[in-house]
Amino acid sequence: MNESAQTSNSIISARGLTKRYGRTLAVDNIDFEIPPGRIVGLIGPNGAGKTTALKAILGLATFEGELKVLGLDPARQRARLMEDVCFIADVAVLPRWIRVWQLIDLTEQIHPRFSREKCLKYLAKTKIEQHKKVKHLSKGMVAQLHLALVMSIDARLLVLDEPTLGLDILFRKAFYTNLLNDYFDEERTVLITTHNVEEIEHILTDLMFIQNGKIALDCSMEEVQSRYAEVMVAHEKADEARALKPMHERQVFGRHIFLFKDTDRATLARMGELHTPSVADLFVATMEGGEA
Amino acid sequence: MKRLLALLQREYWENKGAFRTTPIVIGCIYIIGALMAVFTTAQFDNELYTFKESIRLAAEQPQDLRAHVLYQVLLGSSAFFTIVLWFVVFFYLLGALYDDRKDRSILFWKSLPASDTLTLASKLVAAMVIIPAAFLLALMVTHVLIAMIASIMILAVDQNPWTLFLSISQPIKAWGIIGLSYLAQSIWALPMFGWLLLVSSFAPRVPLLFAVLPPLVLSGLQTWIGFLRTFTLENNLLGIIARWVVNSPAILTVQIDDHEPHGGVGLGAPLDDRFDHSVTAWNILDRLFSIEMLVGLVIAAVFLAGALWFRHRATDS
Repeated sequence: MNESAQTSNSIISARGLTKRYGRTLAVDNIDFEIPPGRIVGLIGPNGAGKTTALKAILGLATFEGELKVLGLDPARQRARLMEDVCFIADVAVLPRWIRVWQLIDLTEQIHPRFSREKCLKYLAKTKIEQHKKVKHLSKGMVAQLHLALVMSIDARLLVLDEPTLGLDILFRKAFYTNLLNDYFDEERTVLITTHNVEEIEHILTDLMFIQNGKIALDCSMEEVQSRYAEVMVAHEKADEARALKPMHERQVFGRHIFLFKDTDRATLARMGELHTPSVADLFVATMEGGEA
Repeated sequence: MKRLLALLQREYWENKGAFRTTPIVIGCIYIIGALMAVFTTAQFDNELYTFKESIRLAAEQPQDLRAHVLYQVLLGSSAFFTIVLWFVVFFYLLGALYDDRKDRSILFWKSLPASDTLTLASKLVAAMVIIPAAFLLALMVTHVLIAMIASIMILAVDQNPWTLFLSISQPIKAWGIIGLSYLAQSIWALPMFGWLLLVSSFAPRVPLLFAVLPPLVLSGLQTWIGFLRTFTLENNLLGIIARWVVNSPAILTVQIDDHEPHGGVGLGAPLDDRFDHSVTAWNILDRLFSIEMLVGLVIAAVFLAGALWFRHRATDS
């Protein structure tokens, strides 16, 4: 695909995106493209610039550099952009005073792509009562309600910033299952940040690691499988493995686990069993080892 | 337009106290006061003798005097509504762009395809039109209910309420003037509305302090400096604000006017002869076509632009 075609197709395209808070650079001159039909995990330690990047994408913060979301400038055209973008920031942002039916009414009147029918269908599967105020719902119910609202909007981009923070495992599982089964398709793009990497690992199509305001890794999950390998090596062979310049090394039960990037698989296979690294391990290796 | 209506609906749902409960409560206070007067009369006035006599005396008064007094009572009874309305609008605007930043729901509101300008407009329309209209409606209902109570009392002493006061009262005219005065007051108060929205849009906490302290400190300094220079207490911010209240197009005071045969209620407070304080539609509108108003509108525009600038940048942090 040539460069210009890719840009025009992209859901999000950033060039030299930078955000300063006083003297600190929260986002430091990053470039990336997110094509349609992907589920991208934006992963980074606290304060790495994830939320700042998301806020820029959503038109909630000013920034330097060039950023187009669905071809629009988010800082100037937020209202127009929000017709096609949905976001859940974290569980606590629905107004607490509002009643469920009022929330549905308002969203229906303000959002041109909202389907009341769909929303009521999703809500019927929950224990949420429509006359209740948001402040009287449990944390899990508020998340379900917000997800029901968002999934009833026919948007092209869904941004989730720690959507399941503070929820129990059952809710978290159900949240991602609903998202994948009822919402996601080839047209839609989802951008997720979370600390619970393990939880979203299986649904991601793309990974983006961010560290100190810079992108430390940006690749598809297929690339992760083909380019990265983890080998468990006995103590005697550890030096031999180290000679192949692994990205990262850790020890479990006296055995050494090495993570390699772009290293010949046949060579690695002679030293021990090969695995595709988990996103969490790849993340730790990237954060501690520097260049991915 | 549909979105603006939806946003106004939101303001109503979020601030039912300001839009609905408060005007109803004031109306109830009036009605309870009237009923208490009725029961007090029934309890202490032997066979309603005094009441009967006073109604008879009232009926003997010339019709134009009765009509004049009634009209003044209709206008004057709005003052309590008006003053509470000011407080309600003041605190409504102070919270308008602050509350959703504080509880982080701004992230939800900003996820809806409604622009910041439209959001700001909905708050301003609510403060300028909808809340005053709610107060006016409550006042009208109160007038009707009290007229009913009075009629029953007058019937009880064998007088005719229709000829005594109902036929000669001019409620539509009074309500029209009060409504006009509310609208004019909203425009007159735009500089303050703009200031409150501006404070509401940036105050990190306790917007009341941010709204009140800077003008107080500034006028304190001005008073001091001005006093050092001229030994008078004239052109400082506090003086301007005081003159602004004094000249407001709201029906606030009773005045004894030499030109009016019977005296009556007045616009603002008659402490300043820059404007005519007697209650006429012309005098209400006259304030809006003044240099003061023009300057005020420019100041309001600056404040509102500031509020919009902050709102555009506001997130949850």
